[in-house]
Amino acid sequence: MATESPAVPSGPAAPSFPIARHAFRRFYTNYTARTVLQAIVTIWAVITFTFFLIRLMPGNPVEVYVDFLVNQQNMTYDEAYSRAASQFRFDPNVSLVTQYVEYMGQLLRGDLGLSITSSGTRVIDQIARFLPWTIFSVGLGLLISFTLGVILGTIMAYKRNTAIDHALSFLASVLSAVPNYIWGLFIILVLGVQLNLFSVGGLRGNYDPSLQPGFTLEFIGSVLKHAFLPVLIYVIGSIGGWMLNMRNSTVSTLGEDYVNVARARGLTSSRILLAYVGRNAALPMFTLLAINIGFIIGGSVIIEELFVYKGIGSFLFWSITQRDYTSMQGVFLIITISVVVSNLLADLLYSRLDPRVRVSGGK
Amino acid sequence: MQKKLVLFFVCLLLTISFGAVSAQDETTINIAWPYQLPPSGHFNSFATDVINLGGNTYQDLMEPPLAVYMWGQGEYEGMLAESFGFDENNNYVVTLKEGITWSDGTPVTAEDVVTTFNTGYLIGMPVWAYIDSVEAVDDLTASFTMGAPSPLAEYRLLTTQIRPTSVYGDFAERAKPLIEAGAASGDAEFDALLTELTSFRPETYVSAGPYVMLPENVSAANVVLVKNEGGLNADIVNFDRVVAWNGETADVTPLVLDGQLWYATHGFPPATEQAFVDAGLDILRGPSYSGPALYLNHSVPPFDRPEVRQALAYAIDREQNGFVSLGESGIANECMCGFSDNLTELWLPEETLDTLNTYDYDPEQAAAILEGIGFTRGDDGVWMDDQGNRMAFELTFPSEFLDWAAAAENVTQQLNDFGFEITARGVQFQQHPQDIYDSNFQMAIRNWGTGSPFPGQSFLEPYNRYNGQGELAGEGVGGGMRFNPDVTYSGGELNVYDASIASGEGLDLEAQQALVDQLAVSFNELLPVIPLWERYGNNPLNREFLDAPAGDDPIYTNSGADHFMPYLIMTGGVAPAGS
Repeated sequence: MATESPAVPSGPAAPSFPIARHAFRRFYTNYTARTVLQAIVTIWAVITFTFFLIRLMPGNPVEVYVDFLVNQQNMTYDEAYSRAASQFRFDPNVSLVTQYVEYMGQLLRGDLGLSITSSGTRVIDQIARFLPWTIFSVGLGLLISFTLGVILGTIMAYKRNTAIDHALSFLASVLSAVPNYIWGLFIILVLGVQLNLFSVGGLRGNYDPSLQPGFTLEFIGSVLKHAFLPVLIYVIGSIGGWMLNMRNSTVSTLGEDYVNVARARGLTSSRILLAYVGRNAALPMFTLLAINIGFIIGGSVIIEELFVYKGIGSFLFWSITQRDYTSMQGVFLIITISVVVSNLLADLLYSRLDPRVRVSGGK
Repeated sequence: MQKKLVLFFVCLLLTISFGAVSAQDETTINIAWPYQLPPSGHFNSFATDVINLGGNTYQDLMEPPLAVYMWGQGEYEGMLAESFGFDENNNYVVTLKEGITWSDGTPVTAEDVVTTFNTGYLIGMPVWAYIDSVEAVDDLTASFTMGAPSPLAEYRLLTTQIRPTSVYGDFAERAKPLIEAGAASGDAEFDALLTELTSFRPETYVSAGPYVMLPENVSAANVVLVKNEGGLNADIVNFDRVVAWNGETADVTPLVLDGQLWYATHGFPPATEQAFVDAGLDILRGPSYSGPALYLNHSVPPFDRPEVRQALAYAIDREQNGFVSLGESGIANECMCGFSDNLTELWLPEETLDTLNTYDYDPEQAAAILEGIGFTRGDDGVWMDDQGNRMAFELTFPSEFLDWAAAAENVTQQLNDFGFEITARGVQFQQHPQDIYDSNFQMAIRNWGTGSPFPGQSFLEPYNRYNGQGELAGEGVGGGMRFNPDVTYSGGELNVYDASIASGEGLDLEAQQALVDQLAVSFNELLPVIPLWERYGNNPLNREFLDAPAGDDPIYTNSGADHFMPYLIMTGGVAPAGS
C-alpha cells in the first residue's frame, strides 16, 4: 500500500542529501542568516552593476588626461595620447569581462586596488584619508537634526492645530522642500560675501591651515569651527523631514487605545509622553535613522564641494571627473556596504523590537 | 602680586600684537589652482595628480623652465638659462645662471638638466621627438644632440621645467641605457622603471624657484608657498609668501568677490564677470589662441562643397555670436585662416593678409552663393539643394561648456533665420569629442587653434585630432569630420596634414612661413571648419591689493607654457598695491 508523502512546504528545491537538505532548511528558515545572505548578494549585485555602469560613462581616464594635456599643456593630440597611454596603468582596450574578473579577484583578497590617475596610491589609503571627515560632519549633522526633529515633531503633535504647530509645519515644509546646496549657496553668497558675517576663505577646508593636526584644544576647536557650516547645512536640509515624520507618527500614536487607557488610569502627562507615546512614535523614526546612516557617505558630494571640505563626497566628485575607475569603485563599494549594513541592522533591530516581522519560513 | 599679574598680561598682549604686526608685514599674494590632498596629491612632478598648481602655470614658481617665450616680441627670455642656442652642428647648447641653489641646498647644475630630460623620456615628454640625447658639458652647460632641430623643438626644450638630480637622479641614471637602446612603452624594463617612477613619492618638493612648497603648508583650503632664499629671482620677487587657494571656478568665485583671492586664471561665465566688474575688479583679457568653431561632417552632403561652407560663414554674424557667448572676451575671428589673429602678423606676409577673406556678415552674399550652385528656397523659406534635399541638420555641442553652448544656440538661431533648419542638441562634454572622433555628427561645435606660438600646431586640431586621429583614446570607428587632406586651392595642390607637420620641422624659418602661408590661404578658401570667435581670458584682478601692468601690456599675450602671471610674480612684475 502506497503511503502518502508528507506535505512539503513550498520553497526552493532542496539538495538531495539529507544532511545538506537539513542544513539548507535550517539556514533558509533562520531569519538572521537569510537576511545576512541577502545583504551579501545585494552587495555583490551592486558592485557588479556599478562596475559596468561606470565603464559605460562617456570618456575614460586616458581620454580625460589627453584633454587635460591638450588644453592645459598645449600638446598635440598625438603627443598627449602617447604620454597618457604610457603613464596610466590602464588599457581601454582590455575586455570588460577580463577587467571584471580581475577586479573581483582583488576584492576577494581584500584589495581595492591602485588609483589609476594617482599612480601607486592605494584606493584604501585614499578612502581612509577622506572618509572620517565625512562620517564626522554628516554624522554629526544627522544626529543633531534627528534629535531636534524628534523633539520639535513631538511638540507639534502635542500642540496640533495651534499657531505653534502651523508655524513649525510651515517651517518644516520649507526646509524639506529646498535642496541643501541652495542653503549652502545662500549662506556663502549672502551671509558671507554680501553681508560679511564670516570670512568665506577662513572657514574653507577641514581645519585652520596654520595648525598641525593633533589632539589639542586649538586643533579640535578649529575642526569644529570648520565643520560648523557644513553641519548646519545638513541639519537645515534634513530637519524638516524628521519633524514632519515625528509629528505624524506621534499624532497617530496619540489616537491609540492604550494611550486613552493610560489617560483613564490617571497617569501623568510626562509618564504617558515618555513611556507610551514617545517610545512607540519614535520606533519608525529609528528605522529611518538606521537607513539614513547608510546614506551618510553618499549624501555629501555637493556640500563638501561648496565648502572645500575634503571628505569622501569631494573625493568621489574628483574621481568621477577624472574617470578614476578604481577609486570610484572603492567609494561606491563603501557606500554600498554602509547602506546595506545599516539596512541589515535596521532589519535585525526591528525584528528584535517587533517579532511580527520575523514571519516566514516557519518562524 | 596683582601688579605682577597685570604686567604679565600687558607683556602677553604686546607679544601677541608684535606677532600680529610682523605677520602683517609679511607680503602675500593670493592666487588659486585646484589640487588634490595627499595621498592622492603628492610631490612627484613626473606623475599625474602632483600638487604643482598647474603644470604650465604656477609650477614655474618652484621648478622654473630654462626660458620663457615672450609671445608679444617673438623671443625668449632666460629663466634658469643664462644663454642658449643652436651651435654650428645644429645641436642645442644651454648655459645655466650661476649661484642658484635648490631648496635642499644643492646647486643647480647642468646635471639637473640631464636628469630632467632623461627622466622625462620615461613619461613621454614630447621634446624627445626632436632630441637624441643630452649631456652635461660642464657644471653649468648642457648640450642636446638634436635629431630634428626646429624652432618648435627649441620651444619644447626651453619651456621644460627643470627638476633636481638630488630627487630624480637615480631614475635618470637608470633611464639612460633605455634611451640609448631606444626602449619604449611595452618593453618590460621600460615599463617597470616607469611604474617605479610614477609610484615614487618624494617627501617634499625640492625647489629651484623663488618659492617652495612645504608639506605642512598643504591643506584642504590652500597651499602656502614660502620663500626659497637660494632660488631663482628670490631677491627680485615682491612677495614673501604665495597663497594658492584650492578650487575650480565655482569654488573660487566667492573668494574673488570677498577680496580674499586677488587673481584667478579660471574662466568665468559673463554674469559672474559682471559681478566682478560691479565689485570694482579689473578683468584681464589675454588671448587663448583658440576658440569654438563650427565643424561640419564632410561625408554629409552638401557640407563637402566649399561653396556651402563659405555661404554658412557669411550667414553667421560672428561678432554677435562671440558677444552673446562670452561678452567682451568672445572676439570674432578675423583672418579665418585656421589660427589666431594674434599670430598672423608674425607668420603671414602683408600681401597674404590683404587677400584673406574675412567673411564679414553678409546674408545676401550667402544666399547668392547658394543660388549660384542651384539651391532654392522652399515655400516655407527653408533652403533645398540642387537635388531637392531640405537643409535640415542637427548641431551638437558639449552642454557643460556654457560659452560653447551659447555659441551653438546662437549659430542655430542665426542659421535658422537664414533659412536652414538646424536643431541644436547638447551632449555630455566627455562624450561629445568621442562623437566627433567617431564621425557621429552632422554639425558640431569644437575648438579651432591651440595655445602654441606655432601655427602648425593649430592646424593639427582640425586636420589631425578631429579628422581621424582622435579615436586613439577611444573605442570608436574613427574618421572624424572626414575631410580629404589632399586639397586643391588657388595656390595649387597641398596635403594639409603633411604641410601642418612640416611647418614645424627644420631650421629654415622662411620655408616654414611659406608652408604656413599656403595652409592659411587654403584654409581661408576652403573653410574645412568655420572658426567663430577667439576666447580671451576674463581673469579678475583685484588692483586694491595688487599692482600689475595695465591691461594692454604685451605681457598679457603670453599663453600656454609661458603664462603671464607666474612670469610677473617671478620677475617682480606684480607687487602689493601701493608698495
